[in-house]
Amino acid sequence: MENLSTIGQSLSRPDAPEKVTGKTRFLTDISVENMVHGAPVYSSIPFGKFNNIDISKAEKVDGFIAFVSAQDIPGENQVGVIISDQPLFADKTVRYIGDSIGLAVAKTPGAALEAARLVKVDYDKKSPYLSIDKSRDATGNFIHKTNLACHHRLRNGDIDVGFAEADTIVEAHFKTPYQEHYYLEPQACIAFPIEDGRIKILGSLQCPFYIQKAVARIFGLPNEKVLVEQAPTGGAFGGKEDIPSEICARAALAAMKVGLPVKVVYHRFDDVQLTSKRHPFQMHYKVGVRNDGTLVSAKILLEENAGAYATLSTVVSYRAAVQAMGPYVIPNIHVDSNSYYTNLPPTGAFRGFGSPQAAFGHERMMDIIADKLKMDPMEFRLKNIVKPGSQTQTAQRLNESVGAEETIQKAARLAQWNSFNPDRSGRYKHGLGMSAIHYGNCLGAAGWHMDGSGVNIKILPSGDVHVAYGLIEMGQGAETVVTQMTADALGIAPSRIRVLPTDSAQVPDSGPAVASRNVIMTGNAIRDAAKKLLPVLKKAASELIECHKSDIIITNDKVTDNQSGVDVGFHELCDFMSRSNMSMEFTGWWHTPPLEYNAETGVGEAYFTYSYATHIAKVRVDTLTGQVFVDKIFAAHDVGKAINPAGIEGQVEGGVAQGIGWAITEDFIMDRGVVTTPNLSTYLLPTALDCPEVETIIVEKSEPDGPWGAKGIGEPSIIPTAAAIANAVSSAIGIQMNEIPLTPERVLNQLNKTEIKK
Amino acid sequence: MGLKQIELTVNDFSHPFLVESDETLLFTLRNRLYLTGTKEGCNQGTCGSCTVLLDGKPVLSCMTPTLRCVEKKVITIEGISSGENLHPVQKYLVKNGGLQCGFCTPGVVMTAVPFLEENPDASRREIKEGLSGNLCRCTGYKKIIDALENAAAEMRS
Repeated sequence: MENLSTIGQSLSRPDAPEKVTGKTRFLTDISVENMVHGAPVYSSIPFGKFNNIDISKAEKVDGFIAFVSAQDIPGENQVGVIISDQPLFADKTVRYIGDSIGLAVAKTPGAALEAARLVKVDYDKKSPYLSIDKSRDATGNFIHKTNLACHHRLRNGDIDVGFAEADTIVEAHFKTPYQEHYYLEPQACIAFPIEDGRIKILGSLQCPFYIQKAVARIFGLPNEKVLVEQAPTGGAFGGKEDIPSEICARAALAAMKVGLPVKVVYHRFDDVQLTSKRHPFQMHYKVGVRNDGTLVSAKILLEENAGAYATLSTVVSYRAAVQAMGPYVIPNIHVDSNSYYTNLPPTGAFRGFGSPQAAFGHERMMDIIADKLKMDPMEFRLKNIVKPGSQTQTAQRLNESVGAEETIQKAARLAQWNSFNPDRSGRYKHGLGMSAIHYGNCLGAAGWHMDGSGVNIKILPSGDVHVAYGLIEMGQGAETVVTQMTADALGIAPSRIRVLPTDSAQVPDSGPAVASRNVIMTGNAIRDAAKKLLPVLKKAASELIECHKSDIIITNDKVTDNQSGVDVGFHELCDFMSRSNMSMEFTGWWHTPPLEYNAETGVGEAYFTYSYATHIAKVRVDTLTGQVFVDKIFAAHDVGKAINPAGIEGQVEGGVAQGIGWAITEDFIMDRGVVTTPNLSTYLLPTALDCPEVETIIVEKSEPDGPWGAKGIGEPSIIPTAAAIANAVSSAIGIQMNEIPLTPERVLNQLNKTEIKK
Repeated sequence: MGLKQIELTVNDFSHPFLVESDETLLFTLRNRLYLTGTKEGCNQGTCGSCTVLLDGKPVLSCMTPTLRCVEKKVITIEGISSGENLHPVQKYLVKNGGLQCGFCTPGVVMTAVPFLEENPDASRREIKEGLSGNLCRCTGYKKIIDALENAAAEMRS
């Protein structure tokens, strides 16, 4: 049994003191000598061609320096991260309002913005596709070669046989909306030209290695000629996964053209109009069930609005497809998951990555079926929930670390599910709603080829330890858990450890900081490094103490000879190693285990392990105004092992808040391709008054391939929330609410319709 | 429009300099005094990240013309504590984990300090009301409110 001294403890964040005093320099706070500024020039029409770019007026702006466009690209004009469908600067065709035409560079941000506004582009307009339905039904005039951006399918079992066995077949349609990340720090970067032809990027970002590859591709350079460092990042949530690649590449082109550092900070309107958001889904579920509540068959169609470019749609679509029926056993299932191009801003990564949408589908469905069967929604879920030994909907056998059932039971107990019996005679109707989910950790079969991550641990003569890692801190607490895992892997005090800002020159390509993968990937890489490092430390210690190396124990920051009881401080050992000219730098690497998966049928091991969660929402609906109040969320999460319990609570509370926003307050509206809710007075993020008290319940079903048993928590925290709220509201008012956000207007409309029917 | 020579008292230091007549206090603080602790989140008076104190009262610096601050005292996040000596609000934000990315945090501190000074016995509900103009996209607010409750208790004692 390992001696854990900081893992499992709520170590406070090492970055907190600087953040509460305003000392943290976010990218937007950084200025460098001779820095100039770039502002994006973008399409003002949703679909069409352009012939001429006229910069004559822009050039007259005081402080104007340069205009950068497609003709300045020495390499490939392509920034598509998976499918190569997206030019860095539009090449004659523009596909959404916001599609990039150029970058205006000037001495001040104001001058750059003004110059950008004065660039005149002549367009030949085409008729745009502004909805999934219009895009799907198109017969010509496609946005790309076709309007279908990508397709994933699952064919497991025989659904016809399944439906024949069913006593009841239930069908329903669901719709989920856009969600804008609204990280409080906008997209921002600085690109520096280096004299020897290399390029350095400093950015507010999530995926340094995506940027490295994107910039290298634009310049036709080897990846290592592009150096990417992360500046403290003021929120990301997926919004800084792939988008910074294009922003940094444009800034880099400008920097190389003008020979000066170029800073680009997106103005908030541009940030909202130009960058990715959560995919809107429309879903059709047809599910067959026996009278005893056993699920037997499902046919599911997921349709996703991909926007103008595929970006990450293929992997969002994959994740939604393989998780479409949730954490339940269902022997016969067909899923089709189709992403359609539209002439709207591209959608992409947002916390949960297709999962919150699929969860809305399967968890609303579970409640609708339970209602039909007159079964308790919890009992119905427990009847079908996956357990150790069960197979998932993709016929993946689950062996260990399956805490789904326990999350339902524990959340229900705390919420007093069984005794909830509200008086619904008054104006305010109370409801309790449950939602259970599973979430495949890391990149899964679709991204397995890039699912490896590294660390570089450097022991300094002072006894301090520097850890370089390839993933990033974006607020989620990566630095804190990397500190804790390194401390316990080596048996030293967390105060010795400094987690370095992520820098592409310090670690190998570790893949993206997404998919709730930091703890698993970096944690396992730390263990790998420790495996190489500990024997070296022990050998050195045996020389210093003059004992046998197998008797050395390093724990609680002390290096002890177990035979004699003689001990030295860890710093003394480091000093000795330095003086003895020993190796003091070690790398660690970990790749996710191999997966057997058939992409044709969708059957197989979709992800190597799953996190499980159940949320129960307690709501109050004002039937006079249509307002929905969330009074409480009970959130039980199987995290394998809690590395930092307070950090997990923080993730859950924050995920729940974003889930509440998506479910109720965040109504993202566009009019012919223009966002009409670009600011916080029209796009309503939940405030302190909108967020309820959250009771977090941590379930620990140890994952053998997780470091110290741990699994991911970042995204599972948001996935069940919206469905739990919609289930609670549906139960409170007795109307199935199958579309969100549950704005007062939508709720009131439904209430009024029902009254008319009565 | 045009430049004007003014003197501004920020964190107890007086600074003479030229400002544009339509310049906001946020711009002045960040670009002329390099006090970047005050954040620009929305620049429209909606997120609270740019909150500073003007004669002890919280204001949104992105909505405040610099010329209106002449002969008044401006306190920014840089002036709320010194060295290791954190203000109780800061101390408990650290202790309770009341921050994640940290971008909204200076604004939260600058709203909470005068609020708790004026309302030392504020209930949890009242603290939420007091903080409702400061948007945080990361935390869900619970740990911020916990921190402010604890800070209030210490400020009372």
